[in-house]
Amino acid sequence: MLPRIIKYGLKRIIILFITVVIAVYITIWIANIGGYVDEIVKSDILLQVSQSVRQNPAYRGLNETQITKIINEIYENELKKIGFDKPFIYRSLIYLKDAITLSLGRALFLSSDSGSKSVRIIILERLPNTVLLFTTTQLILFFIGLFFGLFLSRRYGSFLDRLSVLLAPLSSLPGWFYGIFLILIFASFLRLLPYGGMVDAPPPADKLAYALSVLKHMTLPVLSWLIAYSFINVYVRRTFFLMFSSEDYVEFAKAKGLPDSIIQRRYILRPTLPPIITDFSLTLIGSWMGAIITERVFNWPGVGSLFYMASVMFDTPVLVGLVVIYAYLLAATVFVLEFVYAILDPRIRAGVT
Amino acid sequence: MRKEHLSVKHLIMYYRTMRGEVRAVDDVSFSLLKGETVALIGESGCGKSSLAKAIIRLMPRNVSIYKGIILFNGINLMDLDEEEFRRKIRWSKITYVPQAALNSLNPVIKVGEQMIEPLTIIYKMGKREALEKAAEALRRVGIDESFIDRYPFELSGGMKQRIIIATALLTNPELIILDEPTSSLDTLTQANIMNILKSIKRETGLSMIFITHDISLSSELADKVAVMYAGQIVEFDTAERFYSNPKHPYSQKLMDSVPTLRTNKKLDFIPGSPPSLLNPPKGCRFAERCQFAFNNCAEDPPAIYLDGDFYVKCWLYMRK
Repeated sequence: MLPRIIKYGLKRIIILFITVVIAVYITIWIANIGGYVDEIVKSDILLQVSQSVRQNPAYRGLNETQITKIINEIYENELKKIGFDKPFIYRSLIYLKDAITLSLGRALFLSSDSGSKSVRIIILERLPNTVLLFTTTQLILFFIGLFFGLFLSRRYGSFLDRLSVLLAPLSSLPGWFYGIFLILIFASFLRLLPYGGMVDAPPPADKLAYALSVLKHMTLPVLSWLIAYSFINVYVRRTFFLMFSSEDYVEFAKAKGLPDSIIQRRYILRPTLPPIITDFSLTLIGSWMGAIITERVFNWPGVGSLFYMASVMFDTPVLVGLVVIYAYLLAATVFVLEFVYAILDPRIRAGVT
Repeated sequence: MRKEHLSVKHLIMYYRTMRGEVRAVDDVSFSLLKGETVALIGESGCGKSSLAKAIIRLMPRNVSIYKGIILFNGINLMDLDEEEFRRKIRWSKITYVPQAALNSLNPVIKVGEQMIEPLTIIYKMGKREALEKAAEALRRVGIDESFIDRYPFELSGGMKQRIIIATALLTNPELIILDEPTSSLDTLTQANIMNILKSIKRETGLSMIFITHDISLSSELADKVAVMYAGQIVEFDTAERFYSNPKHPYSQKLMDSVPTLRTNKKLDFIPGSPPSLLNPPKGCRFAERCQFAFNNCAEDPPAIYLDGDFYVKCWLYMRK
């Protein structure tokens, strides 16, 4: 029994690893626009070098060909320094090796708030902010969906049920859209809550005051997402549970005289746990990537706005770093999920062992 | 005289659908004494299962009308609210073996755990004691007790059906409603289950409502027979009289369609098909297919009582 599980696990790890490698390699090509970013970087360096040479008083007496020669020499050295003297196809493989081994290297243009150019530090500086805002929001949304969905599926056709169906189209607009309105109302009109940012400036020295200030800044973004996505979440879950409520074993459980709470827990929730847990874990790791527009609207210093800036500035090491972290998280989650399924569903367990 | 155990009077259950009202159970009456078995016979779609669900109150969400009297031990079940009905009647007094027995077990919970739920939850029995009772109930239906630790997907259809029956016996109920307990099984398994049911009937003195479309099967168990056609019971009689001398033209035709081994008879069938329950005809619902139809049949025939509670819904038996 056990060796089979181990064999199965190893096979899954290898397949997932190959998937990650392919995904990251494709990302490297896309982030570099197939090597075109090289040209941008090169011409940028050439411009800087020639400017500094031409403005350098030490070279003033030299004629044009000599200056060009010096510029070219320095330029070549600069390229060597950042490894750009090799062709892109060769470097893409080096990038891949670095990415896969998580030596994320140095950013081209961006730097962390503390001034570091290390991609790892840049990302780690942003990650807690995003987790704080979006993981919290997604958790709230998930549990709202789960509990109200289950509740309404048992009260199909009631007033509350029809109300939730009616309000589901609120989600046709994204969270940041409601965010703009919330800013208008609560920040510029009522002046109750801040426009954006994560903490008051200057940050309060007291820890409790700091936490309260962050909480105050979180209120509007969280609220905007709750308005946008609560109802659709509830609606989707309700429909999902409604489908599984008409299973014969649910009716039989009712015939057995079981109270509704047990029917919900054991006969509706339990058999549907695998897809729910999948949703839950994917939402969770998805939330670690932040949300680009919402973070811009609320000026939240998270991974989403980092992603945005890195894309605009063609900072490929940062982009690749973000993607590779996400790919690893995703692969690990998928790997763990397979075993969670087997624990939850005896039918899957029979296939695995 | 034995006590009247269950008496259903003028029971009505309609469904609301997109196309109109479906009269699944339309003014149905029958009764049974303690320890008796009523066979409820009818074609598919005639409302048999709806009647069973109406008695154990397992209605789908779209029920529009649900009324009538269901006297059980002299108490009108219609007076109980949902919670009372659940605690006092379901599974403790009346159990139900659904038609879809193959899908009636939760796929992710062990068989034993599902069997003992009524004992541990309604009767607050300890888990070990309940599992012992479940093992005993399994042995009684001819399943090895080790199956308590199996999951439903590891069982065959016949086994699942027998497990459901065992679950239905676990709480020593007074009445068991069997909704086509053998319909999706092969003949050997069918015979096996019928024998189990017969021995249960003999040993426990349980009342049964046995729903089937198989007349020969029904004769194995029935003390009384109710024939259902298009949402109504058209004939209700003792088994003795019914199998030898069915009265309603529909019952007669039904009997003619049953093959027999010894006599060399020509099998008959009924031309046409039953009316839709969506908009049943005004008069007698069988009139269109009935060879004896005459003027009176344009109006709905009353229940014509022959003897005690037994009746036939047919103008032919109206005393002049």
